[in-house]
Amino acid sequence: MSDTFVQLTDLTLTYGKNIAVPALNLSIREGELIALLGPSGCGKTTTMRAIAGLLAPASGSIHIDGRDVTRLAANKRGIGLVFQSYALFPHLNAFENVAFGLRLQKLPEAEIKSRTEQGMATVGLSGFEGRKPAEMSGGQQQRLALARSLVMRPKVLLLDEPLSNLDARLRLEMRTELQRVQKETGVTMVFVTHDQAEALALADRIVLMQQGKIEQLGTPAQLYAQPETAFAAEFMGFENIFKVAGDSVQNDHGSLPLGYRPDSAILAWRPDGVRVGQGPHQGRVTACSFAGGHREYVIDSALGPVKANADIALPEAQIGDSLSFDLPQATARPLRA
Amino acid sequence: MFRNRREGLALALPAAIFSTLLFLVPVAILLSEAFRSDTGFSLQGYVDFFASPLNRSVFLRTLKLGVLVAGSAAIIGYAAAFCIVNLPGKARGTVFGMVVLPLMISPVARTYAWIVILGRTGIVNDAIVGLGLSASPIRLLFTETAVFLGLLQLFLPLMIISLVSAMENIPRDVIPAARVLGASWLNVFFKVILPLTKEGLVIGGTLVFTGALTAYITPAILGGSKVLMLETLLYQKVNVSNDFVSASVIAMILIAMSFAANLVLKRIATARS
Ligand SMILES: Nc1ncnc2c1ncn2[C@@H]1O[C@H](COP(=O)(O)OP(=O)(O)OP(=O)(O)O)[C@@H](O)[C@H]1O
Ligand SMILES: [Mg+2]
Repeated sequence: MSDTFVQLTDLTLTYGKNIAVPALNLSIREGELIALLGPSGCGKTTTMRAIAGLLAPASGSIHIDGRDVTRLAANKRGIGLVFQSYALFPHLNAFENVAFGLRLQKLPEAEIKSRTEQGMATVGLSGFEGRKPAEMSGGQQQRLALARSLVMRPKVLLLDEPLSNLDARLRLEMRTELQRVQKETGVTMVFVTHDQAEALALADRIVLMQQGKIEQLGTPAQLYAQPETAFAAEFMGFENIFKVAGDSVQNDHGSLPLGYRPDSAILAWRPDGVRVGQGPHQGRVTACSFAGGHREYVIDSALGPVKANADIALPEAQIGDSLSFDLPQATARPLRA
Repeated sequence: MFRNRREGLALALPAAIFSTLLFLVPVAILLSEAFRSDTGFSLQGYVDFFASPLNRSVFLRTLKLGVLVAGSAAIIGYAAAFCIVNLPGKARGTVFGMVVLPLMISPVARTYAWIVILGRTGIVNDAIVGLGLSASPIRLLFTETAVFLGLLQLFLPLMIISLVSAMENIPRDVIPAARVLGASWLNVFFKVILPLTKEGLVIGGTLVFTGALTAYITPAILGGSKVLMLETLLYQKVNVSNDFVSASVIAMILIAMSFAANLVLKRIATARS
């Protein structure tokens, strides 16, 4: 593909004898915003470190902009990396932290000053120039780390959970800001997050990782509506996942007849997809919580706990009440084993 | 912690009495020799001391070797400390243990080991003669080089220990961050590692420099009377020539040099950032 900008080929990353990432293949297009999503320890940071040149791959190759950079030193790659731990320079004030990379490029002082100030303004830290990182809050430090990478105008910007420490409002603000910067500069971004909603909101494509492997790759809409495996489905909010046996579903607790014969190995329903108040199955309510537009029920059934959302207009069921429900074919997502 | 200041001070009292009576007082009496003459207070002792070309050369040699040993220890120490902190847990403990181990062996034994290496029939001379680089053994012992090596070996562990603990306090990922921002390893050293470890360097540098100035056994064995240092000269003044005024003057000079070294190192450390 001609517009591939970052290409990882059979990339294997190890820590001593431990293989953190086995044979990863991924192509990222120019100007794309990719979200790396996956549980803790699945190799997101490791992959980023390899792209940035901080971890030499055990095998495989990394190409950026058509060039093989597998053996290129980290300081020559022109990549930005915002660290999960911020990694600010504790001995330098905020201004000098942001100016660090610009100074190394031996730019004229006036340009260093204007770019640094602009960078700090972008993340809302104007006026904090003289502060040491230790004198700033977690969220401010995180934004400072972001500014430090942004001012370098890298070709590829890697962000390792850059918004994790911000409150909801600031998070949204920064998210918008990142999108704006990305649109404006056309920088290719890879963005690590634990937050499924953030990935869906921000990314052009989502890479869902598990144990160093890509579980599924696709647009937010694809991942949201068409997860392919139980792992992906669970990550995308399908909380009811059951094995199929003939025309019923089953798990360790027991089984339920469906009344239709699915042709997949596994079926999954979101809580929204489970119909409550009518249907062939019965269960006892073990938890009920109000969630604005709907109520969230946990129904103890032959399949163990089933999570279901009921419209607020329906009469409220109390804990201990018996409740009928249905697992409709229409809202079932077929998954491969 | 304490209910009042007095209670805290009371605990420090034994130590204070001990060091005042048994350390500060005798030292003060001894050192006052250095300012005394028949007519009262006088700096004549210093004038006389530096008037002697031998004394001047011993002073300069001591200063030179002190600086060289401390400087070399810093360079080797940074490299070693960087390796050690980057080792995985278990190997790190082992290597660090090997660094500390020599400190548990008597300096006399450690210094005599050099005779095995540098002596006329030592390992190095055997190799030189064996390889035909020289017909007869060369003099390696009783040279400044021998004293330098002996002192460096003696005090390097102190520098490494100071630098390792300083480097352990560098926050994780700060060095990688500098690399990604375009810093060469040289830049990383001068702009990140050095400013963040300067306290360790000041402590290590002062320990090594002061140690090199005040070591007696090593210059005595490896330098002998051919390579006199202030410390070996001081010993001679006391035990050979019974010249207590010169001895006190030398002792004062050594103390002054140690304090000066500490001040200079602190100055360098703060000037950098
Ligand atoms: N320096 C290291 N030495 C040894 N193993 C490591 C090291 N760093 C990470 N690992 C291991 O490699 C695997 C991947 O770690 P990585 O940091 O890439 O996870 P992650 O996806 O970023 O997780 P998180 O979301 O918690 O940040 C984990 O099993 C981890 O224990
Ligand atoms: Mg991580």
